Amino acid sequence: MKEGHLHPSTQFLRRLVKIYEELGFEVFESPEVDSEWYNFDALNVPSDHPSRDIQDTFWLKDGRVLRTQTSNGQVRFGEKNKPPFRIIVPGRCFRNEATDASHETTFYQVEGLYVDKNVTVANLFWTIDQMMKKIYGESIEYRIRPHHYPFVEPGYDVDIKNEAGKWMEIFGSGMVHPVVLKNMGIDPEVYSGFAFGLGPDRMMMKKFGIDEIRLNLSGDLRFLRQF
Amino acid sequence: MKYLFSWLKEYCDTDKSPEEIAQEITRLGTEIESIEGGQIDDKIIVAKILEVKPHPNADRLQIAKITDGIKELEVVCGAPNIEAGQLVPFAQVGAKIADMEVEEAKIRGVSSPGMLLSERELGLSEKHEGIRILEDVELGEKVSKYFAKETVLEAEVTPNRGDLLSHFGLARDIAAQEKMIEKPTLELKESKEKASDFVSVEIKTKNCPVYLARVIRNIKIGPSPDWLKVKLEAVGAKSINNVVDATNYVMLDLGHPLHAFDAGKIEDHKIIVSEIEQEIEVETLDGTPRALLSGMMVICNAKRPVAIAGIMGLKNSEVDDQTTDIILEAAVFDVKSIRKSSKELALQTEASYRFERGVDAGGVEYALDFAAKMIADLAGGEILHGVVQAGEEEKSREVRIDYVRINGLSGVEYKKEEVDRVLNNLGFKIDNDIAKIPTWRHDIFDWEDLVEEVVRMSGLDRVKPEPIKVLSKPEMTDYFKKEKIKDLLTSFGLDETANYSFLSDEDVVAAKINPGNLLEVANPVQEENRYLRNSLIPGLLKNVAKNPSFDDIEIFELGNVFSRDKEWTSLAIATSGRSARKAGEIIKQLCEKISVSESDFKIYDIDREELERFKIKKPNVSVAEVSLGEILPKCKFENLSLQVDDVEIQYHNVSKFPPTKRDLSFIVDSKISPKEMKKAILNATKFAFLVEVFDEFEDKRFGENKKNIAYHIWLQDKDKTMSDSSADEEISKIITSLKEKFSADLRS
Repeated sequence: MKEGHLHPSTQFLRRLVKIYEELGFEVFESPEVDSEWYNFDALNVPSDHPSRDIQDTFWLKDGRVLRTQTSNGQVRFGEKNKPPFRIIVPGRCFRNEATDASHETTFYQVEGLYVDKNVTVANLFWTIDQMMKKIYGESIEYRIRPHHYPFVEPGYDVDIKNEAGKWMEIFGSGMVHPVVLKNMGIDPEVYSGFAFGLGPDRMMMKKFGIDEIRLNLSGDLRFLRQF
Repeated sequence: MKYLFSWLKEYCDTDKSPEEIAQEITRLGTEIESIEGGQIDDKIIVAKILEVKPHPNADRLQIAKITDGIKELEVVCGAPNIEAGQLVPFAQVGAKIADMEVEEAKIRGVSSPGMLLSERELGLSEKHEGIRILEDVELGEKVSKYFAKETVLEAEVTPNRGDLLSHFGLARDIAAQEKMIEKPTLELKESKEKASDFVSVEIKTKNCPVYLARVIRNIKIGPSPDWLKVKLEAVGAKSINNVVDATNYVMLDLGHPLHAFDAGKIEDHKIIVSEIEQEIEVETLDGTPRALLSGMMVICNAKRPVAIAGIMGLKNSEVDDQTTDIILEAAVFDVKSIRKSSKELALQTEASYRFERGVDAGGVEYALDFAAKMIADLAGGEILHGVVQAGEEEKSREVRIDYVRINGLSGVEYKKEEVDRVLNNLGFKIDNDIAKIPTWRHDIFDWEDLVEEVVRMSGLDRVKPEPIKVLSKPEMTDYFKKEKIKDLLTSFGLDETANYSFLSDEDVVAAKINPGNLLEVANPVQEENRYLRNSLIPGLLKNVAKNPSFDDIEIFELGNVFSRDKEWTSLAIATSGRSARKAGEIIKQLCEKISVSESDFKIYDIDREELERFKIKKPNVSVAEVSLGEILPKCKFENLSLQVDDVEIQYHNVSKFPPTKRDLSFIVDSKISPKEMKKAILNATKFAFLVEVFDEFEDKRFGENKKNIAYHIWLQDKDKTMSDSSADEEISKIITSLKEKFSADLRS
C-alpha cells in the first residue's frame, strides 16, 4: 500500500528529456569516467589553455578523468553518426571541490547537440525560448548574454532571476566550434550545429525551494519521500 | 577583476550610471558580478569635537564630547588621533556602515549614541588608523555632500579575453557604444646619458619575442601619494612604494605587467632572458624559497636568475628603500611557457595571469614609457635616453571576412557596412575583405570568431528566433528502459535514492572491498572521494544506517559503477525492518514484470558482522544487485513512453533535529481524495512536513459510503528535537482541521 518515490533528480531529468523528445532529440548516454581526449581536448580545451583551470577536475590514477560535463558525449556520438542528428546526453558530472549548501562534487547535466546543414544562432535562440517556456511557463523572464566556452563559437549563457531578483545563470550554449566538428569527423564547411548544457539541479532547487544541494545525494528519506 | 568606475571613465566618455554601464558590459559578454560603493549614508554627518576625556573603565578608549550644530552628545572612540576643535564624520544611530547598522551601544559601561568613523568605515579607502579628520566642510551637513564612495565593478573575465584585464581594455570593448577617450601622448624628459650604455639586453630563448628596458637613475623610493594608494586599494591591490605602485598602476591601467629591478643588484648591468638548464633554489619576492626546474624561463644577470619571467621577481634584485637606479622591464612572453611554469611552481600572480591570457604586443613600448614617466614624476630621478630592445614586436595576424557565412551562421542579414563598422570599432583594420586582427585580441582566428563579435556588438535582439526543422520521432534508447524499471520499483512501494559515486577508506573497510580492484582518484580535495564505487550496495547500506526515523526501509538505486577497466550501470535494492519485504521477494515481483530470470541477480542477507561494520541498528537487512547491461536486452516492456507527473509538491526543508512520527486513522466519506486530505494536514501545522497514506478501505461498519483512511505523519521542529507534548498539540490542530474541512472522525 505504501507509495514509492522517484528521486527528485530523476523526475526533473525526465521533464527535460520529455521536452527535448518532443523537439526530436534522441537520448544518448556517455560514460562517467572518460579519457582526457573526449572530456577536454576533443572539445577544444587543450591542456595548455587557461580554460582548463575553470574546472576542478577529478583525475584518476590511470590518467582518465571523471567527466566535468556530459559534453563528452558530443564527440563520442558525432564520430559514429552522420548528420543530421539531435541528441541530448543526461547524466552525472563531477567537480573536485569542497562542498557546502550550494556546491556539490556530483551533479546532473543535460547536454544537447544538433548538427545539420544551415543551423544558425537564430535556431539556437528559438530552441532556448521553447525550453524556457516549457520548463518555467510562458511568462518566464530570461536573458541571453554572450559568454565564452571553448567548445562553441559564438557562445551564450542564459540567466533567469532568482528569488532575490538577481540574475542567475542556468544554461550555457553556443554554435559548435569548427574544431569540435572536425574532431567528430564532420566537415565544418558543410555542416554547422548548436550545443547546450544545463544543470537541472539548480532548476530543481529553484522550483521546489530547496536550500541545501547536498540533500540530493544524502539518501535522507525525510527529503526523498517528499517528492 | 575589479574595476573602479571613475577609472573606467578616464577612458570612456559617458554620462551613464555604474548600473547602466554594468548592464552594457554584461550584454557585450563580460558578466558584471557585483557593483559596490556609491552613496554614503545620509545619517552620517559632520560633527565637531568639543572636548576629549578619558574613558573611566578603559585606557585605550576616550570619550568625545561632540556637537552636530544643534545638540551635544558624548560618544566613545578608540582612535588616538582625535582632538578638540576637529571636524569629523559622525554616524548617528540607524546609519548603515558596510553591512552593519549603527546602534546605541554600551562600551565598557559608557553608552555611545553613534560613532566617529575612519576612512575605511566611510568606505573611502582601506585606511583605518584613525578617525578621518574633515576640512572645508560645514558643521551638521551630510558627509555625502562632500564625499562619495568609489564605485567598484567586479567582472568575470573569460579566459579568452585577456585584453579586458585592465581599465583601458574594458573601456575599449565598450567603445563601440560609448565615446572612447584616447590614451594621452607621452612626453618623456630624458637625460643625455644613453640607456644602452648603462644596460644590455639579450634573448636566448624562443619564448620571449621582445624585451624592452628603460633605465631611471637617482630616484628616491618612498610612499606613494594618497590618490595612488586610494586607487590601488579600491581595486584590491596593496600599496608598497612609489616604484612598485607605478608598475602595478600601469598594469591595472593598460593591462601590461611590468617589472622593476634594482640596477645596483644586476651584476654587470646585463639582462639575459633564457631558460634554466639545471634545477636551482631561489627566493622569490614574496619571501618563499622555490625550486626552479630546468626549462623554466628566467631573467638573468651576468651570473644568476633575478626573476622568473612573467611571474615574479627574485629577492636578490628587489627594489628597496636604498634603491637609487632601476631597470624597468616590459616584455612579451609566450603564453604556454608562462602557464607551464606557473602551474609547475603552483604560483599564479597578477602578472602571470595576464601573460597566460596574452598581452598586447603592440602596446609594450607605450606601457614602458608610461611607467617610466610615472616613476620619474613620483620618485624623481632621470630617465636615461632611449629604450634598450631585444627581439621584435610580433606582426599582427589577419582573417578573411566571410560576409556570406557570417550571415549564414548567425541567421541574421547583416549588411557589409554593418559588419565593417563593428570590426572597425573594435580596432580591426579592414582592407579588401581582409581584417587585420588587433594585437590585443588573442581569441580571433577565423570567420566564426567574427560572428561572435558582430552579433554581440550589434545586439542580440537582432537575432530573430527561428524554429528548427521537425525530425522524425527519435528512437527509444536504453535510457527509457531504465526509467521503466524505476517506475516499476516505485509502483511496488520502493523509494529511489541516489548516492555519491565515491567510496572512502572507511567504506572500503566496512564493505570488505579489496581497494586494489577499485579506480582511484589521484587528487581528491575531500578525503571521502578517494575511490570510485564498484557496487551500489555500500551506499544503500549507509542509507539504511542513516535513517533512524524510518522503521521499515525499502530502497533502490540505479547508477554507474566501476572496476579498473569497466564501467557499467547497476541496479540494487536494500530493505530492512520488521514489516519490510525481503529483497528477494521484490526481485521476484520485478522479474515477473520484465520477463527476466531471478538468477541474474545477486541476492543475499546482510549478516550481523557486516551490519555492525555499517553501524546498522535495524533488523532483517537484505540486498540484491544486478548489472543492468546484462539484463536490459532481455527485458520486455509494454510501453516505453516516459512517465512525467507534474504534481504540485509543497517542499519542506529538512530540520537538523530528529522528527517524530504519528499514525492517525480517520473515518470519512468515501469520495474524499486522500491527496486533498494530505494537503490539509500539511496546511494545518507548519511542523508537519511529510505525510503518507498507509491504509485506505471501505467497510459497512463505518456506515454507508464511508471509508477508513490512515496516515503516517512526521513532525519536525527547525530549532529543536520535536517533543511529545508539542507533537500532541500539533496533532490536535490537524484533527480539528480535518474535522472542519472533511467532517473526518478520528478513529481511536
